[in-house]
Amino acid sequence: MESIISTFHIDWKIIVAQAINFAIVFGVLYFLALKPLQKLMEERSERIARGVDDAKRNAALLESSEKEYQEALTKARAEAQAIFQEGKNEAETKRAEILEKTHLEVEVMIANGKKTLEDEKVKIVEEAKNEIATLAIEATKKILIADADQIEKIK
Amino acid sequence: MAKPTDQNDIHERGEVIAPETSGELTHELTLYAEPVAHVGNFPITNAMVTSFAAVIIIALIAVVLRMRLREIPRGIQNFFEAMLEGALNLCDQVTNNRRISLKVFPLALSVFLFILVNNWLGLLPLGGIGVIENGDHGPAFVPFLRSGTADINTTIALAIMAVVAANIFGILSIGIWKTFNKYVNVKALGGIFVRLQKDPTVLVVAPVTFFVGLLELIGEFAKVASLSFRLFGNIFAGEVLLLAMSAIFAYALPIPFIFLEIFVGLIQALIFSILVLVYFTIAASDHDEHENHEDKKTIHV
Repeated sequence: MESIISTFHIDWKIIVAQAINFAIVFGVLYFLALKPLQKLMEERSERIARGVDDAKRNAALLESSEKEYQEALTKARAEAQAIFQEGKNEAETKRAEILEKTHLEVEVMIANGKKTLEDEKVKIVEEAKNEIATLAIEATKKILIADADQIEKIK
Repeated sequence: MAKPTDQNDIHERGEVIAPETSGELTHELTLYAEPVAHVGNFPITNAMVTSFAAVIIIALIAVVLRMRLREIPRGIQNFFEAMLEGALNLCDQVTNNRRISLKVFPLALSVFLFILVNNWLGLLPLGGIGVIENGDHGPAFVPFLRSGTADINTTIALAIMAVVAANIFGILSIGIWKTFNKYVNVKALGGIFVRLQKDPTVLVVAPVTFFVGLLELIGEFAKVASLSFRLFGNIFAGEVLLLAMSAIFAYALPIPFIFLEIFVGLIQALIFSILVLVYFTIAASDHDEHENHEDKKTIHV
């Protein structure tokens, strides 16, 4: 043992000094580099894991939203189609009603027009008859007067 | 820069001598780190100078990294984050337990970086900067930089810290009683009285188990020796190799060996830190639970 110590110059003071050197390295590395770096990496890993989870959740949410949207869209389309069809039917009914009403009105108007025309015609014929009668009376009157004058003259 | 010659000499004490000039000024590569200064009685060796430099370099890197920490990583932070992830995964492969990995990882990484920087600093071509001191063979050139791990004191310090820290970790993980029983297996001896009627083989098994515990205790000292001498031996051998290559054909021949030593430095740092991880994992494992589990498995079979 003695010979080993003397051959290799084993000195407890140097051993302690080198142990202190290593302790400094350990302390500096641990507190300045490893601990903050590990903490940072752990935080980043957690954030990434959280981000991945969020992304998965968002993807699921997006998928369900897409599904809901498609369902709502299909429903809205169906409703719109139904409303449109209803509207169309109503419009058709209204149109038919209006057309019917218009036809009736037109028929009434035509009938009224025909009646008015008939009345007017009768009235004109009546008036013409009256006129003719008046004219005939006047003519007769004038003829009679003229005849009376001639008779007088002849007399 | 010293110009080595082919007149190198390997002395009885393991010193490799490369004469600087015609036999007057020598460059001795000793088994031990040479003092380049003294603070009172305390010798500042060239290995310590390298270790100080390593501490400063690592601290600077840590400070720069701390200052540049951003939510979105860039540059140096990218590199360290990738390294951290890779190292943590490697830890998991050794410990098979993320909880233990996270606890031991800072120490293992510190050990790795400290050894790595020390190993590589010793390879810097700054061997010509140093002081001339009176050595065993006359005036000798002592370079300021010698790999910190090429000094047994450094590797012993690291090994003792690792083994002691592993045992403390064991006590904190499985409790002082179970850790104590790993080495002085009182429980096994006590089991003789409890299980003798049920299982007479306990008379043989229990003393063997107790003895194995004592071997484990000796093994803890062996761990310190093996950790420290393995690292020291490899790095010191690398320095000797480089000096020998320089002596054979200066400047050109050592270049491929410098690359080899860069690799060796990395591998040795990795081996040391992985062994530290293994020791921590063993210290945190409960033998009783393992044995009970094995018993259950046997009964089940």
